[in-house]
Amino acid sequence: MVDFMKRDKDDIYSKPILGFLFKNQKFLMALKIVVLALFVYALYFGFTHTGKDNLFTRAVFWGVFWSLFMVITLPTFGRIFCGICPHGFMGKYITKFGLKKTMPNWMQNRYIGVFLLVIGWWAIYYMFPGLFRTPLGTAIMFTVLTLVSFVIYFIYKDMSYCKYICPIGTLTRAYGKLSFTWLGTYKSACDECKTFECATACPYHLKPFTFDKKNSMSDCTLCMDCSDACEAVSFKYKKPSFSLWSKFKIVKAEIWAFILILASIPITMSFHHGIGRSNAAGDMIWSTTAETLKGYISFGSIDPIGLFAFLYAVLFTVLAAVIGMFVASKILKKDFSSTFYDLGYSYAPLFILGSIAHSLETFFMRGYKQIVEGFAQGFGLTVEVASLAKRGDSWLHMFGLLKWVAITWALIILYKRMKLLDVTKMRKILAYPFAASLIIFFLSVNIYRGYIIDTYGRASGGHGNHGGAGMFQTVPNDKATLLQSGKNKTSCIACGMKLPMFYKTNHAAHLGGKDRQYCSIHCLAEEKNVKKMPIKDFKVVDVKTLKFIDASSAFYVVGSKKKATMSEVSKYAFANKKDAIVFSKRYKGKVVDFETALKIAMKDFDTAENRMANNPLPADIVYFVDKNPAAKKKRGGGGHMHGGSRGQVPTKKVWPIFKDDSNKLNCIKDISADLYLLDFNLKVTKARQGRKLGCKTVSFKMPDNGYYNLFYSDKMVDEGILYNTVAKYEYRRFNHSNDAVYDEQKMSEHSIKEVPFDILRIREKGETFFHRLYSGEKMRIKVILDGKPIKGADLTLSTKTGWSKTIKTNKDGIAAFTLLKDYFPQWNKFDRRHKSEFLLTASYTKDIKGKYDDEEYEKIIYTATYPSVYYPEVSGYKSYAYGLLAATTAMIISGFVIYWYRKRREKPFQEVRFDAKD
Amino acid sequence: MQKIKDFINNADISRFRFWLQLFFFIIFIYGGYFSINLGNSIPIFSCGYDREVGGMCYFLPLQHQLARPLDVLFSVASISVLIGFITFLVWFIVFNKAWCGYACPLGTMQDWLTSLRKRMGIRYSTYTQPQFQKLKKIKYLMLALVILAPMGVGMGLLGGEWRTAFCEICPGRMITPLFVGDTSQWSLNFSTKSAMILTSLGLIITGLFFVGSFIKKRFFCFFCPMSAMHYIFSDAALIKLKKDGDKCTKCGDCYNVCDMQIKDIADDITSKNILRDDCILCMKCVAACPEDDALHVDILNMKVFTSTKGGFTKRMQMDKWEKKDD
Repeated sequence: MVDFMKRDKDDIYSKPILGFLFKNQKFLMALKIVVLALFVYALYFGFTHTGKDNLFTRAVFWGVFWSLFMVITLPTFGRIFCGICPHGFMGKYITKFGLKKTMPNWMQNRYIGVFLLVIGWWAIYYMFPGLFRTPLGTAIMFTVLTLVSFVIYFIYKDMSYCKYICPIGTLTRAYGKLSFTWLGTYKSACDECKTFECATACPYHLKPFTFDKKNSMSDCTLCMDCSDACEAVSFKYKKPSFSLWSKFKIVKAEIWAFILILASIPITMSFHHGIGRSNAAGDMIWSTTAETLKGYISFGSIDPIGLFAFLYAVLFTVLAAVIGMFVASKILKKDFSSTFYDLGYSYAPLFILGSIAHSLETFFMRGYKQIVEGFAQGFGLTVEVASLAKRGDSWLHMFGLLKWVAITWALIILYKRMKLLDVTKMRKILAYPFAASLIIFFLSVNIYRGYIIDTYGRASGGHGNHGGAGMFQTVPNDKATLLQSGKNKTSCIACGMKLPMFYKTNHAAHLGGKDRQYCSIHCLAEEKNVKKMPIKDFKVVDVKTLKFIDASSAFYVVGSKKKATMSEVSKYAFANKKDAIVFSKRYKGKVVDFETALKIAMKDFDTAENRMANNPLPADIVYFVDKNPAAKKKRGGGGHMHGGSRGQVPTKKVWPIFKDDSNKLNCIKDISADLYLLDFNLKVTKARQGRKLGCKTVSFKMPDNGYYNLFYSDKMVDEGILYNTVAKYEYRRFNHSNDAVYDEQKMSEHSIKEVPFDILRIREKGETFFHRLYSGEKMRIKVILDGKPIKGADLTLSTKTGWSKTIKTNKDGIAAFTLLKDYFPQWNKFDRRHKSEFLLTASYTKDIKGKYDDEEYEKIIYTATYPSVYYPEVSGYKSYAYGLLAATTAMIISGFVIYWYRKRREKPFQEVRFDAKD
Repeated sequence: MQKIKDFINNADISRFRFWLQLFFFIIFIYGGYFSINLGNSIPIFSCGYDREVGGMCYFLPLQHQLARPLDVLFSVASISVLIGFITFLVWFIVFNKAWCGYACPLGTMQDWLTSLRKRMGIRYSTYTQPQFQKLKKIKYLMLALVILAPMGVGMGLLGGEWRTAFCEICPGRMITPLFVGDTSQWSLNFSTKSAMILTSLGLIITGLFFVGSFIKKRFFCFFCPMSAMHYIFSDAALIKLKKDGDKCTKCGDCYNVCDMQIKDIADDITSKNILRDDCILCMKCVAACPEDDALHVDILNMKVFTSTKGGFTKRMQMDKWEKKDD
């Protein structure tokens, strides 16, 4: 025993804060007692509050310990979770007074723990999703585990439960090898030791002084009891996973723990939750197997898809590992089992790092909220906090990096472990890719999942089955009452949204004896007051009972914190006034009757957008804009368009607008004109206006690179004049892919025969996908009438800043404009992607008599519009003069400095003379 | 066999190197004229801003790839990153850092500036060891810039002009296109503040590049992130520079000829693999070593170029000196 030790620099015990956390026995004792108390209280809470409203039990077990604390500490600090585990803590004292028998041989088998985890927990988790995660299930499971562990601790010696039976014992032992900490001893002190206090203090009867020599901490749980007994025990920083770089005694169960846990967690999750939520889920082998077998066997309450996803994941993973290693062993000319278990340690990082990423993501998205609110609930407080991040926040993807770190790390460990083998280099190089088979398999599953989701897209409403993560309004299909009949009975009759998804805000009414069911009071108000349909007998869903009740007698909670359907202000109805008040107390908001709720719902329609929407008169000039004209603020400054969300065909949405007599901007309430789309392949299709009320939009999909032209073409006779109004919108989609081919024929300007009058921007020579108009450039415009260039049409270019110029087209129908510089910002506010918007308007009058729609006319006025943008010219923000100045100044100054420096060092030799007298 | 070995070991490596450098310079700078395209994962500074480039510096595509939105980057797009990276590795593994000493156009330019200085009779400068130890770390910072700046763009933390932040400050972007008559990179971009800072930094560094590499051999290579990137993977390379410490007499010849001032080449007699992060594998040290087999360049553990007494005497033209003395 040693009382004092001069500690090395890398010893954590010598550090001020960490040293206290890991060494101070009083602190550790207090910590263990707190964890034990928390554990017991959470179990008790689980038995007393069995409902879903028990946030506390779940927060303790599934929020804090598994997976957050455990997964994060395991590959960093090591098995410190075991150090504070309540079972181990109690077990230490139980064993002391127990029978101290030796465990029978059949029980001294680490596979018991591994299989308890894989079969007893994960297989059941996938077969009966949500069984254990209820508070009661959690409490029962942990109580059973606790009782079993106590019995085993009592009968057998040396904490054998932790080694062999504990479901996570082998797992933590195996993954702890990745950590950067190491419990060892100072050799200088231990060489002279004859008392072995550390070994007697160890509840597991391990010998810490052998750890360094064996290069293995064996079953050490970092309870730190030995460090109290002897000062020569050290706890050092090391390179992560350094022990895997040299030899040690291999434990086969650890390799199987790596493989089976990899199969049952990340791989099955990728199958079942990743790919399983894409639109291609039904074609996957586990789904088809489940479907086929459903015909023969009744699965009862088992989820067959989850079960088969799990089974296939295990099968594929084990096969990938075994086959790869088998080939590698043949190449290496070693026997299979030694190759497999020697190199298998390289699988260690794969699961655990990816799992850190997932745990942290979950923590930021909802774990933090659940933990804080759960703990507050457990101690009788009511606290509400906001989540730290939202699903889809871009910075969350940062954690995706960890998966790649895991793969790289695994490859490095494999390389280091291969170095230990005594085989020729050539064989090692050949065997390496085969030995890495499981790592490659893991990589390909990840990439495949990404590919599937990108290509087929996420199935809509996919998160509903993940247990409470969905929306408040949603109920399962079988709980929703559907009053309508026919094919579309599950959709809102006004907006088409799925009714069960928004069931708690559902409304219904009668129209001519038929039921009409709405997703929300918004759609009901729209039909009643905006479309003025004669609907009556209003009904609403009672949030409490999920049954339809008479709306006029319902109590509405308006403006609560629960989200609304199709509105900013939520409105939830209750049959019972008491329920409504309870709801409003809990989630804020006030209780009103149906009439008031309807009035509040009507406010949704009194928007700037609706006030702006009108229909154009025949003489009005219509043109397209690509921003919502009713939106108050401009959206953030454009930048790069990456085309919709991932895996989807990018869509462009535009608004046709016009100015009325008083020069006021209007959008169109209902587009009666024909809409045509000329796509990248020069195919003409009819386009349709959007369904939403307010400013009407036109959207078109852009599946491939090229120009898309949208045409708006209207013909109306008014006071003897036929107005032919055309609006055109030209947009080039380019996804910056390397294999895009610029087909000059397809990319040149085109008109369509459905439109009589058209403006074409002539493509200049050498245009590419990157073409842009810049100020100062010349732009040539061609105007065509009935497919032929027309001479003498008036062509007006007007910029947004108010400048405009009109010229007539020449005999080829061509007019040329020089794009004026009209962007003069302060120099430090300059944006080189600034878009100067302009509008081209062509008009032409033809004196011809005719008849259109039974109305006679004496002349035709053609108008066409073409909006576009140009960018500031390059010379506006790039300067050679300053560039050269900077470079030459740097050259001259540095040249001079060097010259001066050298000059100064060239000191002439100075003779020092001494007088002989001194 | 022995004859070939002797021929190689006695060869005048500096002349060989000059012609090889010229060859690669033409391939990489003017390759486009001969429709040569070696892809865009080349592990040297053959700048992609040169429109006739015969094979692009790996950093330009790498930065563009890393600048994708993170969720895109870590999904299917990672395949293209991976493919680019593997191509880079394959190129690199074959020649190791000899890419720097023999193929890099920017390095070649610096060597030409050095020979110009020699002809003008101006002496060169060196760093002191402490300076050297501090300055050599800069290249890892540069490598961090290459990787982190575009990822910052992908995360939405940085503006789009940081996408190729390193290229903006790399002198290769200014100088390389000059050889095909393109001066468009020599302008200062005032469009945003960070673009202005980056481009003016770039032009200042270009100015320093000329002065620096005129008086200091391979001035820029100390700060080159590609060199840092090479060193990370140099263990896996096929060509290796090895030293037999037992045979070393610590005469210091190798250190004196080293353009990169690597002290270990003379001092370190324990490590076998003597390739350091600054090394450009120009093999001058091997040529200057007077001991048999003390320094040698290996391909797959086969000695291809090794220091010999005979070679040393021949290269130093000892016989001529001896005659003169007579």
